[in-house]
Amino acid sequence: MFPHKAYKILIIFSFAVFLGGALTVPFYYETQTLWYKTGVDKVVLWAGQLAGLLTLVLLVLQIILPLKGRFSEDLFGSANLMRWHRINGILIVCTAISHVVLVLAPEGINNLPIGKKYWPEMTGEGLFLLVLIMVLSSRFRSVLKLDYTVWRTIHRPLGYLLLILALIHVLFVSESFKQGIPRVVLLVIFTGLALLITVVKTIFWRSKS
Amino acid sequence: MKKLHLSGILFFLLVFLSQSAFAAVREWEVDTPHGNIYFSVDHIYAKIQGHFNQFTTKVQFDPANLQESRFLFEIKVDSIDTNNSKRDKHLLSADFFDAGKYPLITFESKTITNVGNGVFALAGKLNIKGKVYDLTLPLTLAGIKDHPAVQGKQVVGFNGKITVDRLALGVGDEKFYKMGMVGKDVEVFVSLEALSSK
Repeated sequence: MFPHKAYKILIIFSFAVFLGGALTVPFYYETQTLWYKTGVDKVVLWAGQLAGLLTLVLLVLQIILPLKGRFSEDLFGSANLMRWHRINGILIVCTAISHVVLVLAPEGINNLPIGKKYWPEMTGEGLFLLVLIMVLSSRFRSVLKLDYTVWRTIHRPLGYLLLILALIHVLFVSESFKQGIPRVVLLVIFTGLALLITVVKTIFWRSKS
Repeated sequence: MKKLHLSGILFFLLVFLSQSAFAAVREWEVDTPHGNIYFSVDHIYAKIQGHFNQFTTKVQFDPANLQESRFLFEIKVDSIDTNNSKRDKHLLSADFFDAGKYPLITFESKTITNVGNGVFALAGKLNIKGKVYDLTLPLTLAGIKDHPAVQGKQVVGFNGKITVDRLALGVGDEKFYKMGMVGKDVEVFVSLEALSSK
């Protein structure tokens, strides 16, 4: 078997490739919305799309970190994984806010995508609110006097819901993910994540019983 | 007492005569589900079509009394629909309609002229993006007849087409026109039915 260090490098390298690949999507699979943007508006929208993709990657990481399978705990340590999970949550809020502001700015604050026909955007709006609620309720759990067991019972399923909403939002809001390599890779990653969660949880529950 | 009596008669006559004057011009209730305002504009080589889902029209029309006939159209800009939500959102932005600042487009006829062959020229004022322009909308009277489904009512139909220069009306600047992306001439089609009691 490989030493721990090699596994760590492999995992970090894989994450870097995943992140790098995600951030090339707006340039290699340009959306038609960018056709109609010039100058500063174009740069702002690009930045918004990049912020959105970064948020997506961090969301995937956010689900993996607290899975606490024996493999990741041995490699990184449980305390580290949870610390990164908390820091990553705050990063997600920052990148999500950037995404919302930068994507909406070019078309004006008076022109928000609200209405039935903007359902993919509104899924994103719901997702954004959920992220805020989850991170703020976690960060200020003691100040809000939330019981730990109750908070945890809600936090985990909400996290999975967040991931499903993120997938729906990205698949339907962005033309880049309508077909081709980005769509296939996105679906493969989310399917893989669902399998990983299922396997880890199954092993966990079996070991408990 | 005599003065009061005379004033009463004069008042009564004034009200009665004015009502008669209104009654002389037939009011029609627009049948909204069977009315359309749609448009077509060039995009590179193809034509993009769309329509406005929400608008109100007030019609006072009598072909024998064009002087007092009136048309008033009020279109809700944010009801625009080109079958593409991203495009609709872009059209509502400051790049085109700036619907946040200017939520309504209105056209009110001032004079109506019968130009022959069933065509009526509605000369009036178009209010779009806070500015007023002179516009003449030609409407063809399709006919007036007893409504086939509603007893006691008649139906009138109008169809019209006009080509407007969107740049002259301030709907977008030259940016996309110069790029060859979006044309400047927009064909607008108006089609309506309205009902009135016999």
